[in-house]
Amino acid sequence: MSLLGWCQWLEQTRLAIAISESVWLFPIIEGSHILALPLSVGMILMFDLRLLGLAFQGGSAARLMSDVLRWSKVGFAIMFLTGGLLFMTQASKAYESVFFRTKLAFILVLGINAALFQIVFYPRMAQWDAGGGTPLGARICGGLSLIVWIGVIICGRTMAYQF
Amino acid sequence: MTAIMSWLEWCSNTSTIVFIRDSSFGMPAVQSVHLVGLTVLLAAILVLNLRLAGVTMMDWRLAEVERQLRPWAWVGATLVLASGAVMFLGNPAKYLANPAFQLKMASLALAMLCQFGVFRSFFRSEPGVRPRTANLVVAALSLTFWFAVGWAGRAIAFV
Repeated sequence: MSLLGWCQWLEQTRLAIAISESVWLFPIIEGSHILALPLSVGMILMFDLRLLGLAFQGGSAARLMSDVLRWSKVGFAIMFLTGGLLFMTQASKAYESVFFRTKLAFILVLGINAALFQIVFYPRMAQWDAGGGTPLGARICGGLSLIVWIGVIICGRTMAYQF
Repeated sequence: MTAIMSWLEWCSNTSTIVFIRDSSFGMPAVQSVHLVGLTVLLAAILVLNLRLAGVTMMDWRLAEVERQLRPWAWVGATLVLASGAVMFLGNPAKYLANPAFQLKMASLALAMLCQFGVFRSFFRSEPGVRPRTANLVVAALSLTFWFAVGWAGRAIAFV
């Protein structure tokens, strides 16, 4: 089955039809997707600002990271669940949308960026907290995260205009 | 009232507002700014209330968390207000008549009244001086009021 064929099948599942036809389900799922933004992306942005030297200087970066991640994990769980359900209802339109494709590409970039940070910079965070300052590479990770997450929001909002 | 309405109608016919409203990329762009602003503003409010509730950032004093978040809350507030005003001015009469918009403005007034008035002392002193229950109640109410603004806003498109 082609990817488009799979999208068309997904739209015809009972769950997708139930969401599309319900007066309340779609607005509630879409609203949850948007209002989980502060808990998911917003929390990550707080840590990005710390890396860029624009907030929470002086405190422990490692502590801030664990505080922020604990909450953003909940936020991203809501995001992927509600996003998946929204995708089901209009899968083939989303498949053809250049904004949806860009959004997914951005999320992939963000995943790689986060993994790089985890592997390269996370093990040395205790040293920054001891007074070494934030390494340039970690600042770049933070700046990239900030900009690309804003790009994800723009793509997400714009794709909905085509539907 | 009629003077205000005719001024709003005049605003809605200015070339800038008409251009943004009627161009294909204008509204998605303004809506995107609104969502980025919402993300930043509500994240700041979320962190502040979670700290008040004593469940995050316990190595920072509440007053210091508030001081660190304040400039970013203003960045978020500026983005939502500016983009919100552009959306509103695109069709003031339609928004004013929309019950979800009315609820959104009422929720916003309530949230701001609590944030800057009733609950102000909670965010300006250390949580330890009060019983934990009082802090939890205020944090829950503050979050409920601010997120109600968002939910009512989302409902504008559906009613």
